Amino acid sequence: MAAIMKVSPFKWIFIGASAFLSLLIFVFPLFAAATYSFRGEAGKGRSLANYRWLLEQDGFYPNLFASLKLAAIAGILTLLLMVPTMVFLNLKAQRFKPLIDFLCILPLIIPVVSLAIGAQVAMPEVIQNSEYELVFFFVIIALPYTYRAIDTSLQTVQLKTLVEASRSLGASWFATILRVIVPAIRSGILGALFLAFALGIGEYTITSLLHWETFPTWTVVAAQQNILGAIAISVFSFIGAIALLTLISLLSRRGTKRESLESENEGALS
Amino acid sequence: MKSGVVETPRKTQGGRLGSQVFPLLPFFAFTGYFLIWPVLAVTLRSLRGNEGEWTFSNYTPLLHGSYLHAFTTSIKLSLITSIIGSLLGALFAYVVVRYASGKFSAVLDSISAVFANSGGVPLAFMFIAAFGTEGLVTRVLKTLGWDIYAGHFTIFSFTGVVMVYSFFQIPLMFLVFKPAISGLRKEWLEASTNLGATQVTYWRRVAIPMLLPSFFGAFFLLFAGGFSAYATARALTVGTVPLVPIIIGTLVDGNVVSDQQNLGDALAVGMIIVAGVAMIGYVWAQKSAAKWRQS
Amino acid sequence: MTGITRRVSSTLELSGVSRFFGQVRALDGLDLKVNPGELVALLGPSGCGKTTALRIVAGLEHASAGNLTVNGVRYNETPAHQRDMGMVFQSYSLFPNLDVTENIEYGLRARKIPARDRSKRVSEMLALVELGSKAKAFPHQLSGGQQQRVALARALAIEPNVLLLDEPLSALDAQVRSQIREEIRRIQIELGITTLFVTHDQEEAMSIADRVGVMNHGKLEQIDTPIELYTNPSSPFVASFVGLANRIPGEVTAAGGVRILNQSISLSRAVSTFAPGTKITAIIRPETLILTSENDPDATRGLIALKSFLGPLTKLGIAVEGSPLIHINISSSDVKHLEIGQHISFKVAASEVMAEHA
Ligand SMILES: Nc1ncnc2c1ncn2[C@@H]1O[C@H](COP(=O)(O)OP(=O)(O)OP(=O)(O)O)[C@@H](O)[C@H]1O
Ligand SMILES: [Mg+2]
Repeated sequence: MAAIMKVSPFKWIFIGASAFLSLLIFVFPLFAAATYSFRGEAGKGRSLANYRWLLEQDGFYPNLFASLKLAAIAGILTLLLMVPTMVFLNLKAQRFKPLIDFLCILPLIIPVVSLAIGAQVAMPEVIQNSEYELVFFFVIIALPYTYRAIDTSLQTVQLKTLVEASRSLGASWFATILRVIVPAIRSGILGALFLAFALGIGEYTITSLLHWETFPTWTVVAAQQNILGAIAISVFSFIGAIALLTLISLLSRRGTKRESLESENEGALS
Repeated sequence: MKSGVVETPRKTQGGRLGSQVFPLLPFFAFTGYFLIWPVLAVTLRSLRGNEGEWTFSNYTPLLHGSYLHAFTTSIKLSLITSIIGSLLGALFAYVVVRYASGKFSAVLDSISAVFANSGGVPLAFMFIAAFGTEGLVTRVLKTLGWDIYAGHFTIFSFTGVVMVYSFFQIPLMFLVFKPAISGLRKEWLEASTNLGATQVTYWRRVAIPMLLPSFFGAFFLLFAGGFSAYATARALTVGTVPLVPIIIGTLVDGNVVSDQQNLGDALAVGMIIVAGVAMIGYVWAQKSAAKWRQS
Repeated sequence: MTGITRRVSSTLELSGVSRFFGQVRALDGLDLKVNPGELVALLGPSGCGKTTALRIVAGLEHASAGNLTVNGVRYNETPAHQRDMGMVFQSYSLFPNLDVTENIEYGLRARKIPARDRSKRVSEMLALVELGSKAKAFPHQLSGGQQQRVALARALAIEPNVLLLDEPLSALDAQVRSQIREEIRRIQIELGITTLFVTHDQEEAMSIADRVGVMNHGKLEQIDTPIELYTNPSSPFVASFVGLANRIPGEVTAAGGVRILNQSISLSRAVSTFAPGTKITAIIRPETLILTSENDPDATRGLIALKSFLGPLTKLGIAVEGSPLIHINISSSDVKHLEIGQHISFKVAASEVMAEHA
C-alpha cells in the first residue's frame, strides 16, 4: 500500500480540504456560539449572565422536564415495540423483512410537517388532548434510526444459534429473550434507546405544529426576548448531546464490536 | 401427483403465515395507526371540497402564484443543499475513512449525528452566532478583508438558509455514506494496480461504480430531508424565505379558515408527493446495485 | 495446449532485500533467485515475511534495502502498475461490480488492447481455467474455487513476466484445494511462466513446486527441491518444519554424537557442534523409527498409547519415559497384532540425526 500511497499527490489536498470543512461546519459555529453565550449584559466582557437569565426563566425547568419525560417515554416505548418485533422478525418471519424495512424507512420520506397535519386530521380527541400524543410520533420519527441500530446488532450475534442453544438447554422463551438475547444485543438496544431519546429531546417540528410546548419550542419563543440566551441554550444542548453520544459509542466500542453508532450511521442505506 | 406435491407445502406455509403475522401485529398496528393512517387521512381530506364533495380544487392554488413559487423554492433549496451536502460529505467521509484513527472517527460520528439529527433549532442559533452581522466568523472574515455583508447577503436570505442547511446536510451525508466507503477493500486497489491500471482507471472502473448507488441513495435521502426540514428554517427566518413547510406552519398557526385548512392539506400531500419522488430515486439507486451486490 | 503464445520466461532475483516496519524486521536480507519457467514455493511460519516478499516483488510495498531484478534489470523503482506481474491474492479480490469477463479483461483494457484481441484472449483464459459457462456471472454468484480460478485467469491474461500467488488456496476446502492446486501447476507448466507461490502449508509447497524455499524470521533458511529439503534439511528448523518429526530429548556425548533413547548416533554435519554434555532435542522422522526385537542392544521399550490407521500406513504413538509421545509410521500389514497397551521395542534406524539446543 505504502508504495501506492506515495504516488498520490491528492492526499494533502484532501486532508487539508476536509480539515477546513470540518472547521467551518463543526468547530466555528460551536465555538462562535460558545463565545457569544458568555457575553456580558451590554455585549461587553465575559459573564455567565446569559446562563443566569436562562435559569431564571419560568419556562426553563418545566419545559426541560417535559422534554426529558416525553423523550424518556419515547425511548422506552421504542424498545418495547421494536425489540420483540425485531427478534421475532429475524428468527421466524424473514419474509416480512422487506415490508418492515420499508415501513421503517418511510418516516424519512414522509415530511414531518405532513405527518403533523395528518395527525390533526386522524387522531381522536382523547389522543389530541394529551401531551403524550407526542410520544407516539417521536417513536415514529425515530424509527429509521432505531430500527437500524437494533437490526445491525441482531445481525452480528448469530441469533439463531444463540436461541437454539438456550432453548436446548431448557430455557423458556421468556428467559431466552431476557437473559440471552437482550444482553447479546445490549449495544443495539442502548443505541436505539439513546437515539429515540435524543430525537425526542430535540424535536421541534411536530411539537410546534401540534401546539405543544417543550424545551425546543420554548427556546424559539425565548429567543425573541433574548437571542444570547437562546444561543446559550443551543450550546448547552449541543455539548450535552455530543458528550453523551461519544460516551455511549466509546463504551459500546469497548464492549462488543462497534455496532451502535455504526448502525445508526448506516441510517437508511445498505 | 404434481399438484399434490405443490399443495402440501403451500398449506403448511399458509398455516405458518398466520403464526408469523401474529407477533408482528403490535408493530403493524402502531405504524399503521400513527404513520399510515394520518397520511391517508390528510390525503383523503385534501380531496374534499367545503361541502364535503370529492374534488381536486384544493390543489389548483399549488399550480401557480405564490404556492408554486414556494414549491420551486423548496425544491431548489433542497436540491442545492443536497448537492453541496452529498459532495462535501462524501469527500469528508473518504478522508476520515482513509486517514483518521478509530477513536477520532467515533468522536466525529457523534458530532455528526448531533448536527444531522438533533440539530434543528440550536443549529439556527449557532449559525446566527457565527455568521450573523455581529457573528464571530463574520468579524474574523472582516478583519481578513472580506465583508460578507458588503453585497445583499443576510443570514435570513435564501443563501443564508442554504448555508445553515449545509450544516446538517454535510454531516448527514458523512454518516450515511461512510459505511459505503469503508466497504471499499484495499485489495481492489492493489489488484487493479497489479493488473497495470493507474489510480484514475481504478476510480473510474471500480471505486466510483461501486460507490455510485450508495451515493445516489444518500443524495435522495438528503433531498427528502432538506425538502421537509422545518425547525431550522423556522427558527432562523420567521418566514422571510417562502418554503412549503414554513407556509404550512403559518397556516396551522393562524386562525384556520376552512378554506385554508383544505389548502394546508393539499400542501401537505404535495410535499409527500415530492418526497415520494425522491423515494423512488432512492429505490432505483438501490436496485441498480442489486445485480452485483450480494445481499 | 490452448495455443497461447508466450514470450520468453523471465528470471526473478532478490538480493539482500529487507523491509522494516518500525522495529519489526519483516524481511531481513532475503536472497532468492527464481529461474525462467520455474515454480518456487515460499514456505514458512506465520509472520515470517512471505507476503511481504511477494508484495515487494509486485511493487505494492517498497524494499527498505536490497535489489530486485527481473532478467537482470533493476526493478525497485518501477511503479507497481508497470511491472507486468500477475498476482493472485489470498482473498481473490475480484472486482464485485464487474462480471467474470470484465474482470479478466481488466488488465487488457488498462493496456489499451483492442476489443477484438481482448475478447479472444478472454475466451482463451476462460477455456484455460475451464469456466467458459460463467463468462457473464458476477463474482458473488461463483463458488470459492471458481472465484479463485477467475482470479488466476485475470492475473494470467496480461501475460505477466512473473506470476505471484499469495496463499491462493487457503480459503478453499481440502478437495477443491488439491484440484485447483493441480490446475495451477498444469497451467504454469503449459505456459512456462516463472512463478512464486507463497504458502504455509508444507504439503502444498512440496507437491506443487520445483523448489521450495523455507523462510524464517525474514530470511531464507534453505531452498531446494522438495526431496532434498526433506531428506537433507540444512537446519533443525527446516527439519521440523518440513514433514512430521518427533522431538526427542537427549544429550551430546564425549565422542561428539548424541545419546537419545537407548542409542548413540552421530550428529548431522549440517548442525554446528555442541560441547559434550549439552542437553539437546533430536529431530527424528517417524519413518526412520523401526520396530526391533527386545534383545537388540539399541532397543527402547515403550507402551503403545495410540494407534491410528492411515491407509497403507499405521501411526503408533509410543509412550516412553522422559520423552513426549513418540510417533512411528509402520506398514499397516505389520501391525495387525499390535494393540493399545502392549509393550514394544523400537530404535532409530538413521545413521545421523538433526539436533538443536533443548
Ligand atoms: N503494513 C505493516 N505494518 C507493520 N507491520 C507489518 C506490516 N505488514 C507486515 N508487517 C509485519 O511484518 C511481518 C511479516 O508479515 P507478513 O505478512 O509478510 O507475514 P507472512 O509470512 O505472510 O505471514 P502469514 O503466513 O500469517 O500470512 C509480521 O510480523 C507483520 O506483523
Ligand atoms: Mg501472508
